[in-house]
Amino acid sequence: MALAAYRHVLRAARIAFEGDFNTLMAARHQVRRNFEDNRSLASGSEELSQQISHAEEVAKFLRENVVQGQAAQDTSDRYQLRIHEHTERGDNEDIKNGKGNTLAGGNCSSS
Amino acid sequence: MFRTTLPRLARHLVYSAPRYQAPIARPIARSSLFQSTRITPTSTAFQAARCYSASAGLSHEEVQGRIMDLLKNFDKVQDVSKLNGESHFHNDLGLDSLDTVEVVMAIEEEFSIEIPDKEADAIHSIKQAVDYILAQPDAH
Repeated sequence: MALAAYRHVLRAARIAFEGDFNTLMAARHQVRRNFEDNRSLASGSEELSQQISHAEEVAKFLRENVVQGQAAQDTSDRYQLRIHEHTERGDNEDIKNGKGNTLAGGNCSSS
Repeated sequence: MFRTTLPRLARHLVYSAPRYQAPIARPIARSSLFQSTRITPTSTAFQAARCYSASAGLSHEEVQGRIMDLLKNFDKVQDVSKLNGESHFHNDLGLDSLDTVEVVMAIEEEFSIEIPDKEADAIHSIKQAVDYILAQPDAH
């Protein structure tokens, strides 16, 4: 479980920070540190499953709700965003419905 | 001045080192999971294009060599002398379970494939990784 979560977070970081080596390495080190911190949790404990679902949420957030932006060359007040296939794209109807599957519909993560 | 001599020196080192792999099959970009000291040679022009018509068959030696190269650059491998085609990640190389996940991810990047969770969890040794890669027609 934890290993699968670790893999999912690493994969999500790879998608979110593609081409940005420094941020990607920083993200990997941070993920590793957080998993190391929770290494001692007993298997089957409540806190462990909480931490694992937190990791899965982090993975989902990185994959769907993080986009890279680069300041446009000519004007300083414009950014070019890299929207990829996993990026969450809701429309106005989604927000009205508030099903919880968009950022506007609920809180973004437990933290 | 230092800036120009260093890549040249590194390129020279790469060329002089024995390679396991035909240069035509090199991936264009390699973002290794590990910060690798190895620098991919970029001087020859044809390496900028990936040759999709090249035969997909990877030899056993090539796959094993690439995986072992990758593990050599992984700083958590405690005893490089124990590195051989049969090495077990945990028992021989002293990697813990999180390290193993990282190694499998790095193998994915090396061969440009995505290994499903179930198969990835079953890879615990170099031999298992080599067998898995050889069974994948998409690996290159």
